[in-house]
Amino acid sequence: MNWAPALPLLAFTFVMLVLPATRLVNDTFALRGGGYGLDNILRVIDNPVDRQAVAGSLGLGVVQATLASLLGAPAAWLITRMRLGGRAFWLSLMNVASNFAGIGLAFGFVALIGSTGMLTLILGGLFGIEDPFPSTGSFTGMNIVYLYFNVPMFVLLTLPALSVLKDDWQEAAAVCHATRWQFWRHVGVPVLAPFVIAGWLLVFTWTIGVYAVAYAVAASPGSQKLITLQIGATLESSVFGLERAAVLSVLLMLLAAGTTVLYRLSLKRAQRWL
Amino acid sequence: MRRRIFLGLLGLYFGLPLLAALLYSVATRWTDTPLPDGYTLDHWIGVFGKPDVTSALLRSLLLSAVVVVVDVLLVVPAAYWSVVHNPRIGSVVQTIAVIPFAVPWVVVGAGLQLVTASFAPGLFGTFWLLAAATAAIAFPFMYWAVEGSLIAAGAVRLSEAAATCGANPVQTLTRVIFPAIRGGVVSGALLVVATAMNEFALAKILVGAKFETLPIWSARQFVSRTLGDPNALAVVTIFTFGFLFALSALVVRLGRGRVSTIGRTLR
Repeated sequence: MNWAPALPLLAFTFVMLVLPATRLVNDTFALRGGGYGLDNILRVIDNPVDRQAVAGSLGLGVVQATLASLLGAPAAWLITRMRLGGRAFWLSLMNVASNFAGIGLAFGFVALIGSTGMLTLILGGLFGIEDPFPSTGSFTGMNIVYLYFNVPMFVLLTLPALSVLKDDWQEAAAVCHATRWQFWRHVGVPVLAPFVIAGWLLVFTWTIGVYAVAYAVAASPGSQKLITLQIGATLESSVFGLERAAVLSVLLMLLAAGTTVLYRLSLKRAQRWL
Repeated sequence: MRRRIFLGLLGLYFGLPLLAALLYSVATRWTDTPLPDGYTLDHWIGVFGKPDVTSALLRSLLLSAVVVVVDVLLVVPAAYWSVVHNPRIGSVVQTIAVIPFAVPWVVVGAGLQLVTASFAPGLFGTFWLLAAATAAIAFPFMYWAVEGSLIAAGAVRLSEAAATCGANPVQTLTRVIFPAIRGGVVSGALLVVATAMNEFALAKILVGAKFETLPIWSARQFVSRTLGDPNALAVVTIFTFGFLFALSALVVRLGRGRVSTIGRTLR
């Protein structure tokens, strides 16, 4: 009785979210001829395209998380130090950027740095630089596009955390004749590191799961292979068995589970200063 | 100085793709010159007269409306009971809410395709499956918003007071609690609408061309670049962006920044 009003929600989410996840795990190990085994997994490991996709997704996740941290952390720090007007401007710019997503974002980048994009034509016309940008479907091109939502996300995630670093601490360090470098080395970085790690993990997790933007930019031939794109392609063609989609999906679920646990741990560590 | 250059470059990076799409939507002819040959509002007027665009927009709006209703009906009673009577509900729900937050929506779609293939093949490719799936991935936004406003409104005290006055649980929920948490429900609904309007992975996998939503329409234009209409795509892109931005600005306003909008538009 004490659970009754929540039962519809629990039943619904169980059927729509938990059941599909268990089904994917089942289909990863279930063999066509009956019984269970590792054949499906081995077939994915043997497939060079799948290996490229796994390497591509992991590489993109690591590069994006690292670049988003390297650009986002100083940006967030500068934003917290701004006067009210500048701060409001940058916060709304981040908000604007985080709303420009999906297919539209891919279109925006093709219109900007595609072969007949605005910036491509400007650089070609004014400075005579031919082909200044990589294809948006290449690994580098995807990195350029993905930063557009990953940097704002990192900034918006870490901005509240930066207030942890109190101005008093900086003053106290200055009173003790600490240099700016010493302050960051012994106080700033150790306090903020868990927040940055947490942001890194979230950007990594979300990057390897992106589908809409990836689908659009990878439409050109010879594009970077990614796990999510392989799953989508497998589901649409009935030529390959759906087991392949199940194996790749389970891999993404395992990565998601792993990063979520690490994310919780690093936030717990970060909370010491709150 | 270095600081200015860093922020300036960052600002350019965020501004330029949006500017390029915006210019494309008002350009008369733009092939090999840095800026369009001329400007016109014809695409903006023309696009909403195209039957494929208007029907895709209507489909997306219908999907959003159904998803919001489903999520309100499922989430509000559960969140209320969790806050007032049984906190264990909350911890179970929070655990489930991690799934759409961390697991890619492509994976949710893949799982649903496999499940429906064996249990209910007739459901696959229908609007109702897409609506249910979208409601499932968007429900955490509703839950977090409603739970937050239940706690802020002092739902425990309110229900005690209502019970003292002789109200039964249903009366308490509809006449006392619901009016008190309207702000949270609206914030949650706006986030759910934003998710449903922009969701691509589930729509692509579960229904595809059978129920062409606005993102699916955009993808079709984008991928078939020779057949597609880039100016119309530019208009829809800027229109969708403006719509989502307005929604998130409203949410920030309603929640005074307390409700997180992060991670909504990503996938």
